Amino acid sequence: MNGFAVEEEYQEKTQGELSNLKVSVKDGICVKGMQSAASSAMLIGYKPLFNATAVQRLLDKGAKVIGKTVQDEFGFGSFCLNVGKGFTAPTNPRDEERVCGGSSGGCAAVTAQLGDDHVSLGESTGGSIVCPAAYCGVVGLCPTYGRVSRYGLIDYANSMDKIGPIAKSVKQCAETLSVIAGSDEHDPTTLQIPVENYTTYLGKGVKGLKIGVIKESKDVDEAVLNAFEETIRLLKEKGATVEEVSLPLTTKYGIEAYYVLALSEASTNLSRYCGIRYGASEPLEGTFNEYFSKVRGKYFGKEVKRRILLGTFARMSGYRDAYYMKALKVRTKIIEEYKALFKEYDVLVSPTMPNLPPKIAEVEELTPLEQYMMDVLTVGPNIAGMPHISVPMGKGIPKGFLIIGDHLQEGKIIQVAYELYN
Amino acid sequence: MNFTTDVVIGLEIHIQLDTKTKLFSSSPTAKKKDSANSKCDVINLGMPGTKPRLNKEAIHKALKLCLATNCEVAPELVFSRKSYFYPDLSKNYQTTQYEMPLGEKGFVTLMSGKKVNLTRIHVEEDPAALTHPSGMDASKFSLIDYNRSGNPLCELVTEPEMHSPQEARDFLKQLIAILSYLKIFDNQNGIIKADANISIKEKDYTRVEIKNITGFKEIERALNYEIERQKSEDVVLETRGWDADQGITKSLRKKESEEEYGYILDPDIPVTDITQEMKDACDIPEMPYEKALRIIEEYKLTEEDAHIIAQSQSLAHLFEKAIKTVSASTAVTWMRHELNRVLNYNKLELEDIELNEEQMLVLMQMVEKKELTENSAKKVLNKLIIEPVDVKAFVESEGLGAVSDKGALEAFCKEAMDANPQVVEDYKSGNEKALNFLLGQVMRKTKGAASPPELLEIIKSLI
Repeated sequence: MNGFAVEEEYQEKTQGELSNLKVSVKDGICVKGMQSAASSAMLIGYKPLFNATAVQRLLDKGAKVIGKTVQDEFGFGSFCLNVGKGFTAPTNPRDEERVCGGSSGGCAAVTAQLGDDHVSLGESTGGSIVCPAAYCGVVGLCPTYGRVSRYGLIDYANSMDKIGPIAKSVKQCAETLSVIAGSDEHDPTTLQIPVENYTTYLGKGVKGLKIGVIKESKDVDEAVLNAFEETIRLLKEKGATVEEVSLPLTTKYGIEAYYVLALSEASTNLSRYCGIRYGASEPLEGTFNEYFSKVRGKYFGKEVKRRILLGTFARMSGYRDAYYMKALKVRTKIIEEYKALFKEYDVLVSPTMPNLPPKIAEVEELTPLEQYMMDVLTVGPNIAGMPHISVPMGKGIPKGFLIIGDHLQEGKIIQVAYELYN
Repeated sequence: MNFTTDVVIGLEIHIQLDTKTKLFSSSPTAKKKDSANSKCDVINLGMPGTKPRLNKEAIHKALKLCLATNCEVAPELVFSRKSYFYPDLSKNYQTTQYEMPLGEKGFVTLMSGKKVNLTRIHVEEDPAALTHPSGMDASKFSLIDYNRSGNPLCELVTEPEMHSPQEARDFLKQLIAILSYLKIFDNQNGIIKADANISIKEKDYTRVEIKNITGFKEIERALNYEIERQKSEDVVLETRGWDADQGITKSLRKKESEEEYGYILDPDIPVTDITQEMKDACDIPEMPYEKALRIIEEYKLTEEDAHIIAQSQSLAHLFEKAIKTVSASTAVTWMRHELNRVLNYNKLELEDIELNEEQMLVLMQMVEKKELTENSAKKVLNKLIIEPVDVKAFVESEGLGAVSDKGALEAFCKEAMDANPQVVEDYKSGNEKALNFLLGQVMRKTKGAASPPELLEIIKSLI
């Protein structure tokens, strides 16, 4: 099926309340004994010895893993076109000429092709759950940073990586999150706060909720803006109070701070891939430096190399204070900017992506910087670790409506999302 | 820094903390006898998807070292990633402390009373070990043993304040004493390694770093060698390795610029507070230097005796126990001088033996009560140091007990006098030394188990 990296044919019968649930898993999330390669040629053949905690929690309730879904290599992309050698980039199931979004593109593509008895586990660092969900016309939920264990996730940027569900319905996302969320001794960054049953927020309505519309998010394609304003009208009709709010700092510095931090971390995470112990290897020749340089030169894709170089630069002495340390401070300011708004508003909303899913040929014309700028609306909640959900809006080519909540307010975003899409 | 002394030495010491499991995983730490790659898990191997889990025992033990060396303790526990590519590093970055070390600005007091200041103490993971079956130079490949990967280390950095190899040795000795008092280092399986920065006035203090020196005897050897080398050759800024077999240092690399490690905070390990409770739980015992000062004061020991006793926790413990039933001079004689004699004879160090506290105590008490003569006690000690014996049973079976039965002693003396009437006559006519001959005869009969002064007394009275 379009979107899979590894597809499992045979499924054993299972017991448990989720025994009818099929789960597809982003390639960068470890499934025991199943190749988990983050869609990189570097990791072809890597079969983890353990399950990611999120996967294990679903398996424990009887769910079945049906395969690994293609992604941008190590999560580096917004269109799922940066896949490693040996992987096939998925296309948008709604229009084959268009991209399905990234980096959890395979998750959204597979979800669009399957039914209500399926959920996909995606992962987002800067928008990689909601972007493909919006482009493929499905629901994607990215939880608060630390709400779902990252154990078993092949790291992109550890301080921002989040595992979350992509599904056909808000209900399925709420149910899945209720199972996979919670503290985990294998990931010390998980939050030690009890997990709610998120399905209790379904059908609560939006009456009396105060919703902030992010002013800076309106500089988007006309088709997107029209559908967005239509959705805002709908929320007002349903009794929500809607006001315009502003996130000037996040808008101005979000993308820069995000890329500095994400790539600094990524460049250290990817150091371990050197052709020994697992994954790709070459005949042993030359010194260690010559050997690992050959392996990395041969098996990493172009975008991976670009991001390693950028990230390494940003943390070198002499530049470290100006880039890496500065970006850490900017992140704190961005969190404060969101927090200030959440004192007054229950949720903030914007379009998920500024455009319709582009055609594959169009993306190939974009410079790397233009591609990075596509994350403008999703980077904010991701760098701030705020939970967010994208639900389809309007008609025709898929578009997403993004709902952002304060830390640990997954319930509220589910509540609003369900009202718009059920 | 403005140096004035002939020699300037600073040390960077890596101490493996004695913990059950590794610094960031629940894999057991390896013992020396473990076969290669038998004590490591997916985390130590840097498998994709794994995350570090901090070992609280390691932090507790590192905190003990910081407090015992008078460090200012950081308010928070912060780990960073130090990036460099090396085949022993499973992630090609080392998880260590950079921005905020656990301890700073501490000091260690040497036996001489000199304080050596510590710049910092931080916690980090050990890389794996590279092994070369046919030797480093001959081997065409390296094998990696991940048993060591992820072991908890404390790195301790001193200010460049030592001025002789002897001082560096004293520092390391005192540090090892502190570690043993704190019970945070395993003598049998643990590793303690020093890198030394050394420069001499004659060569304008051009700094050379010597890597991988193990043990306090080696550090003195290595630094003595290096001083002589620096005096006789051109000195350049470089890193050298200590080859203990050949007893020389060899150039590893010239330092042209500072190394680039691209430190970032480790985002997998949350920053946590170092609480007062964590510090209180350390419960630091009296440290060797302070203990020495106290026993000098309380028992009038010489400084040397006191420091040597205090540096060994087992000796210090024995001393404090013994002092309740024997005099300080008996204790010092047997625990220092006599013990040293036996150790030297057997070419052993105190660290090499397991001191049997209970039996040592019995021995000293018997001497104190005159149940053993010095001669016999020496024989017992000779035995006790090399094998486990029950002192009382040994004394009995060898007939070493002091013969204090006056009647029996008189009989021995009488026998000797009867056999040597001429000697008795010599004494009577004023030759005092003649008695020594008789004494020797009796001592031989009693196998040294009688006290000479007492025998002389008896002989005189009989005459």
